[in-house]
Amino acid sequence: MTALATIRDLTVTYRRDGSEVTALKGVNLDIVAGERLAIIGESGSGKSTLALAVAGLLPASARIEGHIDWFMPPTLGAKAPPSVLPDISPSRGEIGSSTVGSSPTASVIGESGDEGAISPLEGEMSGRTEGGAVERQPFHRSGVPLHGRDIGFVFQDPSASLDPVMTIGKQIAEVARTHLGLTWSQSYARAKSLLERVRLPDPDSALRAFPHQLSGGQKQRVAIAAAIAAGPKVLIADEATSALDTIVQAEIVALIRRLVTEDGMTLLFISHDIALAAELAERVAVFRHGQLVELGMTAQIVGAPAQPYTRALLNAHIGLDTRPLLDRAGLHA
Amino acid sequence: MSLLAVSNLTKRYRRGGKTIAAVDDVSFHVDPGETLALAGPSGSGKSTIARLVLRLIEPDDGRIEFESDDFLALRRAALRARRARLQMVFQDPLAAFNPRATVARVLDDPLRIHGIASRAERPRRIAALLERVGLTADLAPRAIHEISGGQRQRVAIARAIATKPSLIVLDEAVSALDVSVRGEILELLLDLQRQEKIAYLFISHDLGVIRSIAHRVILLDAGRVAENGDARTVIDAPQSAIGKALVAAAPRLNRAGP
Repeated sequence: MTALATIRDLTVTYRRDGSEVTALKGVNLDIVAGERLAIIGESGSGKSTLALAVAGLLPASARIEGHIDWFMPPTLGAKAPPSVLPDISPSRGEIGSSTVGSSPTASVIGESGDEGAISPLEGEMSGRTEGGAVERQPFHRSGVPLHGRDIGFVFQDPSASLDPVMTIGKQIAEVARTHLGLTWSQSYARAKSLLERVRLPDPDSALRAFPHQLSGGQKQRVAIAAAIAAGPKVLIADEATSALDTIVQAEIVALIRRLVTEDGMTLLFISHDIALAAELAERVAVFRHGQLVELGMTAQIVGAPAQPYTRALLNAHIGLDTRPLLDRAGLHA
Repeated sequence: MSLLAVSNLTKRYRRGGKTIAAVDDVSFHVDPGETLALAGPSGSGKSTIARLVLRLIEPDDGRIEFESDDFLALRRAALRARRARLQMVFQDPLAAFNPRATVARVLDDPLRIHGIASRAERPRRIAALLERVGLTADLAPRAIHEISGGQRQRVAIARAIATKPSLIVLDEAVSALDVSVRGEILELLLDLQRQEKIAYLFISHDLGVIRSIAHRVILLDAGRVAENGDARTVIDAPQSAIGKALVAAAPRLNRAGP
């Protein structure tokens, strides 16, 4: 197992109406390169805060303690700024795209300061600190990834993450142009092939279409195309299928699985649905009240959970083979 | 005698010069004290049917009989009076209520509007309703936006039962709840059904939940009935194409162990 990122003692606090809310408390977690990792939990568990923290998208008002260290392959992370989390000042408001456009200033600052891009192994041996169990040999330190280029992010509601007055083609092409240095015509060609990859019917006319002309499932396919347009190493899907009906949800999950496999991406799949997460992920991390409750391989988490909370979540699942409540009526009345 | 009998219900929308039947010649009935589920993909017409039955929108064609009356013919005072018997709970109670209103106010409205309890009697009735749905009376002065999602849905159920309905339309009423809360709300609904003989028209995309609590199910596809029957029979062995697709798409937990 090679760690792509190590999260250490991550605590995130939001200020709200004068009081402070701790969304994540002392989280330690390694993200393994190339894995499909599910982050599951109920509302208030901190799962979305973790996704935003990994993507560097937390609001500037959030207080972040601890750190996330990245071990990106050199070709992709070379221009990134240094690796301690609070150094990223996420530029919010990238409303136009489902990926997060990197801020040009951040990459300039990063280039000057970071030793990691040049001296791979030494920097790694000396500088990296915590949790030595992880094998990092093939990678060297390259600091925080650039969002949009190195991390693609798919949100729950594609209507909110896509720009309603920009064509589908432009929204995808813009990501490719910004991060890959392509011309507009090259970027549009890439956008078209991406629309084919996400199996949008009639990609040619879809390029010229606006989001409102597509169904919810089609919009989410477009959002995924934009998220992977720059060839990111990491794809984060935050409740990306929760607003879709069951059939479309299954199609989008299958699409994410295929794209992640074909491109060798690392997947962070954030969900409240333990059954859905277990179908897709190799490992599952269970969160509650901002803390990591249990982490394990999917079969272990589902088949032999160690924590009572994980068992409670599994028992609360109502599947097609669960004994109907109608039969149990009276037991709890 | 059915409690609710819907026959040949049709609702068309015009979109971009084309006419689409959101609900196309749909017929079904609900018996007293039973749960009929409506399931289907997005756009299959299940929520439109809910709104038609509640007369939030009017159909282009068809007939709705409720408690043996021609429900579509009811007007004004007669309609208002009959609406006390036909209540609703939606997915998001925060959207359904004024968020600044207190719990007491939300429950006071139906008691007052339908003349169920005098002003002096209402605080006691509100406390009783809260207790009936598993809440405590000290929640009454709290604002709707202050309480948890599960508590809000209990308040929505309390408001629905305040007027002693015979039928409650539940439109994705447990879909937005955390799983731990969802089970409790479903048990509350079953308990109310047993005690008060309330029938439910239960609209959901979740076949697992439907199989767990519904007696019968209707599967809808593009506004039409694709399949209907005993909930477990249909879901365990669907015959229609949409039924097979819905069942195949439902996430499964393989709890066999590593």
